Parts: sequence; C-alpha cells; structure tokens
Amino acid sequence: MFLLQFRNELWKLFGKKRTYIGFVMFLLAQNVIALVFKYTHASRPMQRMLEAGGQVAEHYISALTIATIMLVPSAAFLLPLYVALIGGDLVAKEAEDGTLRMILCRPVSRVRLLMVKFLAGVVFSLLLVAALGVFGLTFSRMHFQWGGLFVWMPEQSIFSLFDPSTGLSRYVAGHLMLVSEAASIMCLAFMFSCFNIKPAAATILALSFVFVSFIMEHIPYFKDYQNWFFTHHLNLWQLVFAETIPWWRIFQSLSLLAGFNATFLTIGVAAFQVRDIKS
Amino acid sequence: MIHLRSVTKRFGARVAVQDLTLDVKSGEIFGLLGHNGAGKSTAIGMMLGQVWPTSGEVIVCGHDVTRNRRRALERVGAIFETPAFYDYLSGWNNLVILASYTAPTSKQRIKEVIDWVGLSGREHSRVKTYSHGMRARLALAQALLPKPDLLLLDEPNEGLDPEGIHEMRQTILRLHRELGLTILLSSHLLHEVQQLCTRIAVIRSGRKVYEGPVAEARRSTIWWRLVTDNFDIAVARLRAAGLVKSSTGQNQIELADGVASDRVVRFLVESGFNVHEIAREESTLEAFYLSLMRDAESAPEANADISPAPTTNISNTR
Repeated sequence: MFLLQFRNELWKLFGKKRTYIGFVMFLLAQNVIALVFKYTHASRPMQRMLEAGGQVAEHYISALTIATIMLVPSAAFLLPLYVALIGGDLVAKEAEDGTLRMILCRPVSRVRLLMVKFLAGVVFSLLLVAALGVFGLTFSRMHFQWGGLFVWMPEQSIFSLFDPSTGLSRYVAGHLMLVSEAASIMCLAFMFSCFNIKPAAATILALSFVFVSFIMEHIPYFKDYQNWFFTHHLNLWQLVFAETIPWWRIFQSLSLLAGFNATFLTIGVAAFQVRDIKS
Repeated sequence: MIHLRSVTKRFGARVAVQDLTLDVKSGEIFGLLGHNGAGKSTAIGMMLGQVWPTSGEVIVCGHDVTRNRRRALERVGAIFETPAFYDYLSGWNNLVILASYTAPTSKQRIKEVIDWVGLSGREHSRVKTYSHGMRARLALAQALLPKPDLLLLDEPNEGLDPEGIHEMRQTILRLHRELGLTILLSSHLLHEVQQLCTRIAVIRSGRKVYEGPVAEARRSTIWWRLVTDNFDIAVARLRAAGLVKSSTGQNQIELADGVASDRVVRFLVESGFNVHEIAREESTLEAFYLSLMRDAESAPEANADISPAPTTNISNTR
C-alpha cells in the first residue's frame, strides 16, 4: 500500500506543470552561461590564473570546469528556490485546492500521508540535482572540449586541478552531496507547508530561513559560531572539490543536516497531526 | 451508524459546535439542517476525523474516530460541497489515487463505479474538461469506491443547476434503494431534505435545536394564510388576545394551541377588520425550520456559549 501511495504521489507531483519550472530554468540558464563563456572573454581571468601557476590553460578550460563554475551560482540561488517551491507546495497546495480534504476522508493516517509526500519531495530533489549536473555537462560539452577540471572556491580555500577522469568523479560526487542540500531545503519548506498557511508563504518562509542563516553565517563576528548555521552545512558539496577530501567535515555536516531534517520533519508532522482540516 | 456524544468544538474563543448529541441509525437518510456557518460542516469534519473535537465522543461504524480512525472510516464515503480533484489528471487517475488511500482497488471496481455514476466514455479525459455535473458524478464515484456502508454528503447540491439537483436527488434515492446505504445529508436546501430524508437534526449556532422524523416536523407547524385590511395590526390584536402564536411577513399566522380558525375570523370581524381570506397552508419543512429558527432566536440562552444546548423534542414543545 505504501508503495502504491508513493507511486501515486509521484504521479501527482510530476503530473503538474509547475514541477518542471526548475528543470526548464536550469536548461535555459546553463545554456546561456555556456554560450556567454564561449563567445565572450569571460574565461580570460581563469586562463591568466592557470598560466600564472604554470599550467596549460587550454587543458583546464574544459567542459568539466565550465559545468562546475555554472554549478556554484545554480546551487546557491536557483536550486533552493525550486526545491523550496515544491516543498512548500506538497501539503499546503493540496490544502488550498481542497484535495487534502478529499484524501483525509479516507482511512489513511496523517503521518503516513506526510511520509509519502516527503519521500516524493526527496525524489524530486534528487532528480533536479541530476538534471542540474547532466544539463550543465551537456551544454558545456557542446561548446568546450573535454579536459581536466579546475576548481577555485576561495571561500572554502579550494584551488584544485584534476585530470579528466578524477574531475568527472569529483563532479559526480559533488552532485551526490548536493542532493543533501536540495533535500534539506525541501524538508524545511515541507515543514512550513504542514502548517495552515498558503503554499507561497511556506516557500517564502523557507527561503527566508535560508537567507537569514546565510547572512548570519557571513557576518565576520559570527565566524566562531558558523557550525550552528544551517547554510554552513549546506555547502558540504563544495568540499568534494578539494585536492584532499575532508571526509570528517563532510560526515559532520551530513549528520548535522540529518538532525536538522529530523527536527523539521518532526515539527511538520506534529503541526499537521493537531491541525483541523477544513474547507 | 453515527453516534455523537456531547461533542463540542471550539476554534479559539469561537464555539463551532456545542454539546452536540446525534444518532444516525443504520439504513436511514438523515438530514443535517442549518444556516451557513451553523456548524454542519464542522460536525461532518469531526465524523471524518478531519476536525478534532474539543470534547465528547464521535463514533462512526462502531469505532471512535479520534482513536481508531482507520477502522471507523474503512466503509465510509464522503462528498463535499465543492469536490476538489487533480484537474490536470484524468477522472480515472483521480479515482486510482483516491482509492489508494483506502485499500488496493481493482480496475474492475473502478470501472464498475464509473458505469454506475454514468461517467463511462469520459473517464480518461482530464478533470479540468469536466462540467459541474460531471465533477459531481466523479465525486460520487470516489465516495462509492470503498464499497461504503455510510455516505456523508456535505452540501452535495452546491453549485448545481436545477437539472443537476434533480439528478443528485434521484441518485441519492437510488443509492439508498439499490445499495442500502446509510446517508447523512447536510444541506440548507429544505425542499431537498424534505424529499429525501426520513429524520433530521437542525443545528443553530452549533447547537442542536431539533432532532426527529421529517414527517413529525412537517406536522408540527401549521400555517394559515390570512388576508385582511392591515395584516400587521390584525396580528398584533390577535397576539394580544392570545389567539396567534407567531406570524411571518408573508401573511402567515400560526394559531395558538386549541384555537380554531373560526374563532380568529370572528375576533377579527368583531374588531372591525375585513377578512378577505383565511386558508390552511400545506405544512412544509421550510415552515417548521423557520419557526424553529425564530424560537431559537427568541430564546436568550440560544446564543450563549456556555449554557447547555436546549435539545427540543417536537412533542413537548408544540
């Protein structure tokens, strides 16, 4: 029964046009970014940086490097927006449309209903990240040669050079870790969605939470407390691009994100359980 | 089939349902009457476990809804005033999705229900292309999927045209006759309730003000049509003389107990009024309902939140 309900939940989710907004925007944004890199001098500073380090720039200004450069802003801004949109919709949109009332005249428990919806949200997050990775690599490959991976992330003190095969494996690993960011923001929006509010409000509240956490994390005086901030742990995917992967730090962030998600889910379930569902 | 025991529901300071006790017996069509906002939908919400009662007990099909919702709702179907569906999916897919929240349902059963409600041929079209009447049929189909023993209909005629209302009425009667369902019908369309229900309960401001058979309710208030020179003054005089209990703005009077029409006519003529017409009107549920609402309005405790609900039995108030 659970699998049947889960399948139906995916059916509902992917039957809606708005579910595909994120996929379409990634498709457009990554195509445009790749074209700008191709037809402007945007890659010159990178070329100079590599040459100053004694590297052959042509070897590293590749499809992998461009795809990874595109990944940073997409993961920081677009991905949170689209997963929050879907997470905020999962319960609140059904309540707004009245279909939640139709479901809850059935003998299904509220907890089970939420679990099914949450898992559907996780599947969406996974597919959106996969699309981000595949679209990025496809469009950059259309305009750039295959080659090594150059990553420069000053905030994480990462300056790395990888051969093509290691670069590709790091690119894939980065996306796997990015799923945790997408799923966590989705979970946050899902929590708000369980309250008696409009879907847009759930999305906005989730994004506000992320932005406030981001702002606080970047106040220099709060540097000693950055481990407390949600967004600090969302960036764990970037660590995969370090020459030597700091696994301890990745596991620390993963376990903290698991804790955040468990808390969000518990609050959401509790709020939904005590709520009166009315037209 | 449904037993509500002293059920109260508060939304903050507002009392939506106050000390409601209700019994719906197996096999009957029971009408739940009341104005908009009287508490009918809240009461149905509590029967479906969608609204948590503040106090009291809600038993559906022998199980406490708040404690054992799964068992209580296994054989229950429901239709709401504006049935909502996944408009971007087909009617068939909507039924598959909604059925999965009860039990695995075979394609055969879904087809059977679609045939029963008369949606065959359109079941694979998207719901957004459905007319209001078709949506109502789809709502009925989803309610029938779990082979219910009990059907809760919350304002099922809302938004339907006269033809749709007629069709819904026939369908409800057919459901009762052919499938032997117990039906609870919440409505403010008194004419519909009068034609369909065997027993009714009337709710006003969250309190039950009447529960009993429709036939008894219809008998309880007899209105007389009175046409005189000045209706308002005539009624005032009749009231003062203790001959009339109440009146409406539509030239209707309700005679006091033990008073016959000839006494009223004689009194009016002796008082100098010309009586052009006096005739007994057909007793309707509407007349009963309106008089009940007036009685409840004039009773000061009816609007108080804390005092217990005055459950009026027809035989001891009329």
